[in-house]
Amino acid sequence: MKDRDTTHFGYREVDKDEKAGLVAGVFDSVASRYDLMNDLMSGGIHRLWKRFTIELSGVRPGHSVLDIAGGTGDLAAKFSRIVGETGQVILADINYAMLAVGRDKLVDHGLSENLEFVQADAQCLPFPDDSFDCITIAFGLRNVTDKDLALRAMLRVLKPGGRLLVLEFSKPKNPLLSKAYDAYSFSVLPVMGRLVAGDSDSYRYLAESIRVHPDQETLKAMMEDAGFARVEYHDMTGGVVALHRGVKA
Amino acid sequence: MIVSPTLHTAAIAALERAVNGALALSPHSRRELAALTGRVIAIDCTAPPFSVYLLPTASGELDLRGVHEGPVDTRVRGSGSAFAELAGSADPAATLVNGELSLEGNSAPLTELSRIVAGLDVDWEAPLVDTLGDVAGHQLAVALRGLFSFGRDAGRSLARQLDEFVHEEARLTPPRAELEDFYSDVQALGLAVDRLGARLERARARLARLGDD
Repeated sequence: MKDRDTTHFGYREVDKDEKAGLVAGVFDSVASRYDLMNDLMSGGIHRLWKRFTIELSGVRPGHSVLDIAGGTGDLAAKFSRIVGETGQVILADINYAMLAVGRDKLVDHGLSENLEFVQADAQCLPFPDDSFDCITIAFGLRNVTDKDLALRAMLRVLKPGGRLLVLEFSKPKNPLLSKAYDAYSFSVLPVMGRLVAGDSDSYRYLAESIRVHPDQETLKAMMEDAGFARVEYHDMTGGVVALHRGVKA
Repeated sequence: MIVSPTLHTAAIAALERAVNGALALSPHSRRELAALTGRVIAIDCTAPPFSVYLLPTASGELDLRGVHEGPVDTRVRGSGSAFAELAGSADPAATLVNGELSLEGNSAPLTELSRIVAGLDVDWEAPLVDTLGDVAGHQLAVALRGLFSFGRDAGRSLARQLDEFVHEEARLTPPRAELEDFYSDVQALGLAVDRLGARLERARARLARLGDD
């Protein structure tokens, strides 16, 4: 009786066709307060995680960069300054509400000349093969229905020698930290979500989706299976977050 | 990287903020720094262990990074105290050559950067005027400038007089020139003793040969 094609949505098991709509509902609900919630939830540390991602990207002037699930454009804004007039940055997100917030923010900061905004699904990227020097996906992969399909799509649009960087919540290595992190995620986050974004369910989903996301070694193996070479990862903040990097051979 | 990436990145982000905050108040230094755009200077501190890459930008700011995988123009390695000596040196080029720092690549961007940092002339007036208004801000800036100028002159004068008292009046330590002469004499004496030892050895060997004959 288990012939349904299912996937996780937090702790719930849902039809694969259903997940994208459910995730869209989460982000439609939190888009306007997304940046504020990120700062509150992480105590501002998400900026350091993103900064380290940019350092490891090796992006230089003239490069073309695709920021998938780029949301409100934190990474895209930095990349836009680094690649300069001769480079190009594409901020892609499946969710229109998030993309609209990101586009407004970046345009307000005077960043638009080398930036493009594309509403796109990470599983079927609407770009030609070998298009980008670097692809980043920060806190987005766990929301993708078919992660293997998405990783293969990223590999296809990367130029040979190009890098994929996956910044995502992961599994803390220290058992004490892990317990504290669980208590924080399931007790504090939903309350914070209700008070600030008026939506506790979305932040409960955030905590659940992190727990069912592959751990560091599993994601590394998934990237290798998808065809990435020289895959490595860096744990940050005790493994609460991990940055995986792979190269298209 | 020995420290955790998050801590390392946090330290670099804080340092970058402080440096660019100071540069924002020194337009002249920013213009000079902008001329170094495209250069990459790596600082490898061995104790405490810490690495940072300095990338001057076209807008006259300094981008600091913990990781840089592209080409590096200048790489300097040494202890924290050796870097502090370079930063406070009146002659950075001489300190680089004679100090305890090891240098790879082109030293020119580093000496230029060191010169810009040493000559950082912070203009307090703009932020004070923005905050307090034209009249009060200007008055306070003039007072601060006078205070800093007095402090700098007084510091130099005190150092000179203290130096004179310690060396010439109290004779607590010998002056640098005398000390260098003394070291030079000791070195010459050491060489003379070595030579004498070698001669004695040769004479002893000759005596031994004569005794055998």
